[in-house]
Amino acid sequence: MRLKQTTCLALFLIVCGSSAASAGFLDQLQKLADPESKERKMLSGATQVLSSAKDMDYPTERAIGESLALEGLQRFGLPVKDEALQQYVNQVGNAVAANSKRPTIPYRFAVLESNVQNAFAVPGGVIFISKELLGVIDNEAELAAVLAHEVGHVASKHAISSIRRAQFLQGVGTISAAQMKGDKGKQFESMIGDLQSVLFDKGLDKSMEFEADSAALESSYRSGYDPRGMITVLKKLKKLEASSVKKGSWFSTHPALDDRIERLEAQLKNYPDAASLATVPERFAKRVKLSGAKN
Amino acid sequence: MRKRTLATLVLLLALAGTALAQEKRWVSSDGTTLKKEASISSEDLAQLPVGSELTVLEAGGRWVKVQAADGRQGWVYAGRISDAAPAAEVAGGEGGVLGGTLQESQIATAKADSARSIRGLSPEVAQYAKQRGTPEVYKKELDKVLARKVSAKELKTFLREGKIGEYAP
Repeated sequence: MRLKQTTCLALFLIVCGSSAASAGFLDQLQKLADPESKERKMLSGATQVLSSAKDMDYPTERAIGESLALEGLQRFGLPVKDEALQQYVNQVGNAVAANSKRPTIPYRFAVLESNVQNAFAVPGGVIFISKELLGVIDNEAELAAVLAHEVGHVASKHAISSIRRAQFLQGVGTISAAQMKGDKGKQFESMIGDLQSVLFDKGLDKSMEFEADSAALESSYRSGYDPRGMITVLKKLKKLEASSVKKGSWFSTHPALDDRIERLEAQLKNYPDAASLATVPERFAKRVKLSGAKN
Repeated sequence: MRKRTLATLVLLLALAGTALAQEKRWVSSDGTTLKKEASISSEDLAQLPVGSELTVLEAGGRWVKVQAADGRQGWVYAGRISDAAPAAEVAGGEGGVLGGTLQESQIATAKADSARSIRGLSPEVAQYAKQRGTPEVYKKELDKVLARKVSAKELKTFLREGKIGEYAP
């Protein structure tokens, strides 16, 4: 019970994010006590998110994710036909996923033939990175950080929390193949449409992106990778921003790069021995040989 | 008066000492091993499931000396433990590690995972693809993505070769 309350409060604080920082923690708590306050209503919404996410079993979460993955492949491109490369990205991804907040579900990673700087995760643990974004990366620690950012979204169930009003999530959020043909199936399809709009066009809430950035630092560090990899990738993207495709990219679906870099640099003080950790540039160079990606 | 202050101070220090001695950590990473010595090359004593509660005996470096719930003492890599218990869902629900729920949930997930490469997309997703008229090539390619599994052994070799984390010199 205490855990549930703590989780609710944590979720609420994520929702309130920036306002909590400016108005002060105690003020927020006072507002929370007032049943008519905006904050209390937000908390009530957050509790509903939590209960629908909690009610959802893993196979349903995974079915949502795999359906979205099918849509993602059609939109961004098929996986790159290079088995050794796909294996390598899976090894790096699984190394950081084992040290994430949700290490016990199966994760899968794939590099897509896409000329957009992008990476995205679908519920349940399937994660894609575009060839174009991989082309910006110079070592294993940087790749680990980008993948750990996406694992962070899966671990905190950000995508599903973003569409809490979806009809499918009212009541018990589970699905079977037989139900797919009926009303529940229609609701499921409509929800996949909403999720595509969030993940591929509008982007997740800013606070979720910052949370995934923090998770990337933490998982990278705990795995033994230099957590500064996340910052160096973002700095390289910053240089490329003016000349890159924006639609459906990390530029359009994520908060401003300067804002992300600034927050990450402030958090680096928690990892004083960061510079002594692994970056593994040689293995990365040996295993990642891309054809046709702009660098 | 001075005597009383001193006594209070001694008491506080003693309490702080007890608190330190009782410091708890939880296994938060998959594939955590309790080692005999503070080195990856030392003998394996036990595999510790996510959510296992540990008592810290000696900390400070990259390896932490701990005592497991069954009384066994050994060393774990600092990156694999955290100072807060993992979410109930991750650690196997209300029962936690002791309730056996963890094993059940992990076994269920592992079963679903190993069956994946044989049976392809789940029936729900296959039905979704049928309703949406998804071209066959996307289903086949997603299937390949899902079948690409990294085993625990492969991951250990990968980390060792890269000298990452507990394998760092």
